[in-house]
Order: sequence, then structure tokens, then C-alpha cells
Amino acid sequence: MTGDRPAPDPSNATVADHWEVLVATAMLGTDRRDPPPPPDPVADLVDDTLRSTPSERMLAQVAATVAVRRAGVMPAPPPSRLAQPPTDDRAVCVPAAVDRWHHLVASWPVLEDEWVLTLLANGWRVAPELVPPLLVRHRSDPVRRARAELACGPLAEWLTGHVAALAPRGSHARPADLAAALEHVGELPDLPIPADLQPMLTAPGTETGPALARAIDAGQLVHAHRGVLVNLIARCRPDGLAAIAEALDAVPADSPGYGLASVLADLATTRRRMLDELGWVS
Amino acid sequence: MGADDRAVWGAFHGSGAEPYDTMVDHVAVAVSCSCPSRRTPCKHALALLLMWAHGDVADAAPPPQVARWLAGRTGATHRPDTSTDTSDEPVGTTTGTTADGGADAVPAGSTTTGPAPDTESEPAPEPPHDRDRARDERVERMHAGLDELDRWLDDRIRTGLADPSLARYATWDQLAARLVDAQAGSLANRIRRLAGVVGASPHWHHDVLAELGLLHLLAQAGRRLGSLPDPLADAVATTVGWQVRRADVLAGVPDTERWVVAGRSDTREDRIEVRRHWLRGEASGRWALVLSFAAYQQSLDTSLEVGTSLHADLHRYPGPALRALVGDHHDEPVDGQAPPSVGIVGACSEIGTMLADEPWLDRVPVTVRAAPTTIAGDRWALTDDDGSLPLLPGADLASLLAVSAGADVDLTCEWTPHGLVPLTVHLPDRSIDIGPRADASFVSAA
Repeated sequence: MTGDRPAPDPSNATVADHWEVLVATAMLGTDRRDPPPPPDPVADLVDDTLRSTPSERMLAQVAATVAVRRAGVMPAPPPSRLAQPPTDDRAVCVPAAVDRWHHLVASWPVLEDEWVLTLLANGWRVAPELVPPLLVRHRSDPVRRARAELACGPLAEWLTGHVAALAPRGSHARPADLAAALEHVGELPDLPIPADLQPMLTAPGTETGPALARAIDAGQLVHAHRGVLVNLIARCRPDGLAAIAEALDAVPADSPGYGLASVLADLATTRRRMLDELGWVS
Repeated sequence: MGADDRAVWGAFHGSGAEPYDTMVDHVAVAVSCSCPSRRTPCKHALALLLMWAHGDVADAAPPPQVARWLAGRTGATHRPDTSTDTSDEPVGTTTGTTADGGADAVPAGSTTTGPAPDTESEPAPEPPHDRDRARDERVERMHAGLDELDRWLDDRIRTGLADPSLARYATWDQLAARLVDAQAGSLANRIRRLAGVVGASPHWHHDVLAELGLLHLLAQAGRRLGSLPDPLADAVATTVGWQVRRADVLAGVPDTERWVVAGRSDTREDRIEVRRHWLRGEASGRWALVLSFAAYQQSLDTSLEVGTSLHADLHRYPGPALRALVGDHHDEPVDGQAPPSVGIVGACSEIGTMLADEPWLDRVPVTVRAAPTTIAGDRWALTDDDGSLPLLPGADLASLLAVSAGADVDLTCEWTPHGLVPLTVHLPDRSIDIGPRADASFVSAA
């Protein structure tokens, strides 16, 4: 209830200025400081004659000032614009490929390297909305990071310059490490596949598919072999994927290997569609 | 807790400050509970019955309030009524009150008209005088709660925001519990959220004071519903927490046109994930908000896809509220649709108009054509040649920057008091949903 602070001239106070005074008063409380006189736009809304106590007058002013400030939202002056990234003449990959990438990283990450390499090989660039998640996903692995940056084009460097969370982590951020990584960028990583399955990598799908289906149905290949079978289908001849999926889908539902066959058929189908979307030509 | 050959009763400690009094007539099948639940029977009545069925409720003589309740029901034992005497079921949205705090005025034309009751799935309607009495009791409780809220606000303003009691959650939680009792659940939620703002940022005093001002506005308006114009009264009542039955909303006259699904945002509010879909009428240009909610491991609505449009009935909640329910669809959704955009100045005008109608809104949609750019410090803004508006710190800047590459794009955003939240970038051939998404470990896939 002090009157020792000079009251601002309400006619000169803007609503924003008045708000600052209200906040300062509210910090102390109206037991210690009287509410300021309202400026014209707020005074029009608040009839102080109806409110007997300083706290009531203060609450009325706060409510009115908040309402005025909200309804009076004003633009700030335009700041300077960002320099745009260099243009990338490559075509953007199709939306289905974007959806496929999300599916791959959630369900079949073993196929992601091939997705990026096929995209690069066929002259596409990554759709812009996919650039942040791709860069975030590959912050630590230098080879995959380098591959991702190639696929994203100049947008990757521009974006990383503005959003630090997308920058690479660890020692591979050094140029020498990046140069070393670039040497391996075009190579599909090797996956462990047992010697007795190796011939299936190059065999036609019409042979591989039925052979896998028979072995699964007979219980010779079981869930314990899932990892190597996934690797096999992720690296086998692309032109055989349809036949492999068809053969695996034909495993009877009452077979003990039905679940494994279905999973592998889904992988084969996913890989075939992925390659189709990225324009793979046999 | 006790039971006899006619009824079982008990008191439950819930989220309110006072225990809920629950009574079940297990002969004539009727329930009474003082909790604010919209479900009949409520969980307290069901729990009581379960305990009774398991033999966990001792026989006893009914206390006076149970005896009175049973006596009051004696004349109505042949009525197939399972509704509660304290009106667990919301009876409408727009009960008006006189300016002096009376509870006897209902604004003309403001009551909702529900569908003919389905006697197989819903309780039979109460006689009009029971319904009126229940409604009046609710209004009275709400008024008492708003009175208490205003006294509490007054104390805060008197003692100041530097008062250490503000940092104690109990200061807020006790008031919130009393507001729950007063059937002002929405205000209770605002109070609980506000407790988390104290000390959360360098400018928390501004945020808390602004919200205290809005709460005062709502408390004042809520006590004067009868003297407010009908649409505003509806808006205030809904914002305070007056419940509206879904069936009543769906029974209203729909807005039928082609609706563009312009944006989506997910936010965690307390222990519930809230999904907002912003729709805009192609012909009318009016916005609508479709909400869905998910508790832990529940799924959110995925029926609306950003960038599509659908020809459908939208049933709006009472008043000028943006909130609506989607009714009948008249065809399949169409891809590649975007709402028209405005510049930054136009966006300010649209936002201001909506906030002038309802200053307490936390989020307002707008579609703007602008480019992202940096402003002071590490803040970002949307800008065009005429002005700029700040983006909410922590918004998904990477996606916005990647898709726009720093150039002008059409963008649907949510205005919030702390900045714009980018939701959708509308490209010529498609729309890209960049709105905040629910934590996948919290909600389950639909």
C-alpha cells in the first residue's frame, strides 16, 4: 500500500509498458505496492469505481491487459532472411520411397544401406522432409553419415549449419575421417551368411525360394536361423525376390515353420518394393 | 461403508478435497454419487458393488443421508432410473445464471437438444423438476467454486508472486481439488498446469500473471453467464468445465461441407496425450478442432490425415468454440488439399480476431505464407516482407528448415502465447506433417 513510487502517466504508457509495471507490482503484491493507473486502452475496459480493494483493481487490470495484448497480437519488423542452400538438380525420391524408409528403419533396418545406395545409384536425392531424421540417425557412423550427406545433397550441410543437433558426433567429424569414410561409401556392408547358404546368393529365385520353403517346412531351418536367413534375403539377387516371397508364402499355415516363412516373405516383398520405388532395373 | 437389504453405501477419497459419498440401491437398481464423473454408474459405485459382492461390506444401519435418499426413491421404485440424483450425467452446456449469482435463468435458445433417449443404452430421462434441481445444484456448486477461485486469486495478488507458497504444489493442488468438487474441471486442469510453470523459465512471472488474469476473467464471466450473450455464455461454461454429452453435440445441426485437414499436433497434458486435428472449411473458411485423447498405451485417432479433405458433417460444441465432432462422411477423403494462406499481417489479424472472442484460448490455428529465419539470440521466427512472428522455442525447426530451405512456404501453425508451432508445410503437390508427435512409448499404434 505504498504511494512512494511515482505513477507513470497513463496517457504515455503503451500496453506493453503497462504489462511490465503490472508484473513488477504482482511480484511484490498489492499489500506492498498499489496497482498502477491503467493506460487508455485498459482503462476503457476496467471500471475501478466498482472495485474497492487494490488487489481487486489489480486483478481486473491484469485480466484486461492480457486480453488486450492477446487480441492485439502484432507482427515484429521483418528480420533478414536466411541465405538459401545451393540448388540440387537431382530429382526428389518419390513419396512411397520416403514411407518405405520409415518402414525399413522400424522393421527391416538391414535394408537401409541398400536403400541409400540404390537411391544414389539411380540419381535421386532424399526428399527434404527425410533429411533431418536421416542425419540424426547417422550421426555416429562415418561411412553411413557420408553416404547420407551425399544422398541429401547440399541441403545437409546447410541444415547442419543451422541445427546443431544434426551435426555428426565424435571423431569422424574430422575431415581426414570423412575422406576415409568416403572410400567405403559405395560399398554395401558384408553380412554374415554361412557357407552352406552362400550358393543361394547367386542362384535364381525360382530355386532359392522353394529350397528355403522346403527346409523351413521340414524343420531344417528354424527360428534360430532367422538372423542368417534375413541376411541371405537382404543380399540375394534382386530379380529373384518375387519368386522367393511367393515360395515362402506358400508354406502351409499348419506348418511349424509358417511364422518364420511369413516373416521372411515379408522381408523379400519389402526389399522388392523398395527397389522398385527407387527405380532399380534388373 | 455399510450395507443392508436395500442399499450399500460408502465414502471414497478421490481427486477432490472431500470424499465422495456413494450410494447404491441394489434392489431398485439406482446409484447416487457426489463425484463429478460423467459415467453412470461411476467407478465408485461399481467398486462399492464389487466389494459388497465379495462380502467385504459389513451390515449396518443406513446413515441419515442414505435413509433420506432411499425414502426419496420409494415413490419411484417402478421408474427404470439409474441416473444419479446429483446429476452425474451432464444435462447440457449452457445453463445460465443471473448476474447476481442466482441459478434460475437459462438463456433462451441456449439449451442443447439431445436425441430421443435410447432406453436400452441410456438411463430413462429424469422428470423435468429433478433435472432442473440437479442442474441448479451443479450451477450452485460451480458458483461456489468460482467464488473460491477468485478469493484465491485475490490472495495471490495481495501477497505477490514472490511468495514462497507459490512454489509448493499443494498451494495449487488444493485449489484444483476444490474446483473438481465444484464441477469446474477445466479450470482445475489449468490450475494444475500452472503449478508447473512456476520457476520453469526466467519469465515465469509473466506467464503466471497472465494466466491468473485469464482465470479471473473466467471466474467473473462464469458467475455472470445469465447476462452474457448466448454464444459467449456457452464458450465460458465450456471453458470452465461444464460438460457436454457427445450425444447432445452429435444431435445438433451439422456444418456440412468439404473440410481440409490442415494440421495435427500432439501434446501431453498431465497423464493424457491430446491430439488436435485442425480442419478448415473449403467454402466457409471456418476452422474446427477435432480432439482425441489417449491414456497410457491407448491409441490416438488416426482417421484424419493431414493434407486430405473430406466432405463430412461437423457437429460443433455450443458457442463459438472451435471444437467439433466429425459426423457422417459423404465421400472418401481426397489427397493434395491445402487451406488458403495469408501473410504475417493477415495472420495477426486472424489470430487477434479469434482471441478477441475468447481471450483464454491457448491455441489458435492459422495458415501463413512465410519463411523461417533467425531473430535475436537463438530464437527463430516466420517472416515475410511485412513482418515476423516468433516460433515457439523447441518447435521442430529441422523439418521446417529442411522442407522450406529458407524460402517462403505455406504453413499451417498453431499460435500459442509463447510462439507459433509449425504443424504442416503445404507444398504444391503434397502436405508434409511436421507437427509435434506423441511419444510412441506412451501411446500405442492404432
